[in-house]
Amino acid sequence: MMGSNFKLSAHQVCKSFGELEALKDIDIHVKAGEFISIVGPSGCGKTTFLRIVGGLESSSSGSITLNGHLVTQPGLDRGFVFQQDNLLPWRTILSNTEIGLEIAGKITPEQREKTLSLLELVGLKGFENYYPRQLSGGMRQRVNLARALAINPDLLLMDEPFSALDAQTREIMQTELLRIWNEGKKTVLFVTHQIDEAVLLSDKVLVFARRPGRLQEIVEINLPRPRTLSMKRQPEFMKIVDHIWSLIEFDVRASVLEDAA
Amino acid sequence: MSLTTTPPANSFWDKHGWASVSTLVGFLLWEITARFFVTSKLFLAAPSQIIAAFIPLWASGELPKHLSTSAMEFVLGYFFAALLGVVIGFFMASFKASKQILQPWVSGLYATPTVALAPLFILWFGVGIFSKVVVIILLVVFPVIINTETGLRQTPHSLIETVKSFGANRRQIFFKVELPSALPFIFAGLRLGIGRGLIGVVVAELFGARSGLGLFIQQSAETFNMPALFAGVLILAFTGIGLTTCFIWIEKNVTPWGQE
Repeated sequence: MMGSNFKLSAHQVCKSFGELEALKDIDIHVKAGEFISIVGPSGCGKTTFLRIVGGLESSSSGSITLNGHLVTQPGLDRGFVFQQDNLLPWRTILSNTEIGLEIAGKITPEQREKTLSLLELVGLKGFENYYPRQLSGGMRQRVNLARALAINPDLLLMDEPFSALDAQTREIMQTELLRIWNEGKKTVLFVTHQIDEAVLLSDKVLVFARRPGRLQEIVEINLPRPRTLSMKRQPEFMKIVDHIWSLIEFDVRASVLEDAA
Repeated sequence: MSLTTTPPANSFWDKHGWASVSTLVGFLLWEITARFFVTSKLFLAAPSQIIAAFIPLWASGELPKHLSTSAMEFVLGYFFAALLGVVIGFFMASFKASKQILQPWVSGLYATPTVALAPLFILWFGVGIFSKVVVIILLVVFPVIINTETGLRQTPHSLIETVKSFGANRRQIFFKVELPSALPFIFAGLRLGIGRGLIGVVVAELFGARSGLGLFIQQSAETFNMPALFAGVLILAFTGIGLTTCFIWIEKNVTPWGQE
């Protein structure tokens, strides 16, 4: 594993819950600074995979390496952005953002300055002393993102972070994420249901299939950066979206029918 | 960007208007009833008569003596009950074995009207303040235990997982997530404990004491001194109201995130 030039590698990762094969033989290699999305139908194991990378769950077999080190538990080299904002209601925005540093015992005046400029970067300047309940859903997701970035992780793991937002806020947050990502060029693993979101944001889209959860195809997105929302209406963009949709349509239909049954 | 605005400042009338009217009318009706309808002083004392009886009792130092005994009993009992309740609640929420060992006793003793045991405690521990402290602890501790345990258990798993993702250890999870998340529950348990603790003071003193408000009320009843009896009861009522109000104020300032 040493000497590999990949930031993140998954080797033959499998995960089963009893009889159910949630993930089977996942092999993934991510270079530093890449923005990778994972799309797939419900039950394809994409969130499970992200949680295994985050150390929140363990794999049944196989291994994950980050910077050449085996991943076995959560750590400050990864920042997890949750689907729900999961902010602690009794903490202010600043204090919520600093929780990772606080747990690590790393709060210093210099760090405080960095956290404050990070809050400015995500568009929350002036809201440092507000409580979460005083903010809208979109703003809370910005805190969720800032909290993960505050520990300056090597890898950002994002689990459908915009799925709880309304469609318009969601589009704004996509461009905001692109702007923030452009500042630091973090390596990102982004799980989403929404194909156009994945295409707009990513360098590569990993398309997962279900039963068992597995990697079906890697789609390279060669659209120029910086990307804008208007690109979503360009023919090339729609061609890629159509291609990905055709890959997962059968599985999505199957999962919808299953839910109905 | 939507922000909740600060609520408009309410005038005194908006907040307390009808409550004040209702209180005043109540006392007025009481005064009229005692003066014109139930005139026998053996049955009822008018508020004006209670105040007239209260002033000399207070000035002579008799009421302050009883009050300080009862206050001492309450403070000691309540303090130890709060401490014990939070600790036991924590153990029940955190360790399966301690939950199983303690649950039957907690449920059983909470449902039992333990004031009925007050005469027994006086036999065991004497007529001094110690027996009263034990009764108060027994009455106050259970709502605190139950609320602490419930509060700790109801900590959203998603919040625990969030701090875990940053590598939090067991101790950090407790102090940074579980405890603050349970605080509103613990406070509710402590607030319930105030009323129960005051009942404990009075009832325990009725069964044997050297001084205390319970004893004072009992002696007043035996001598058919209604104004003095009511003076004792009113002191208890105002203590209860005062403590609860203080408590709500503390609660608001310790858990400021919960208010809309």
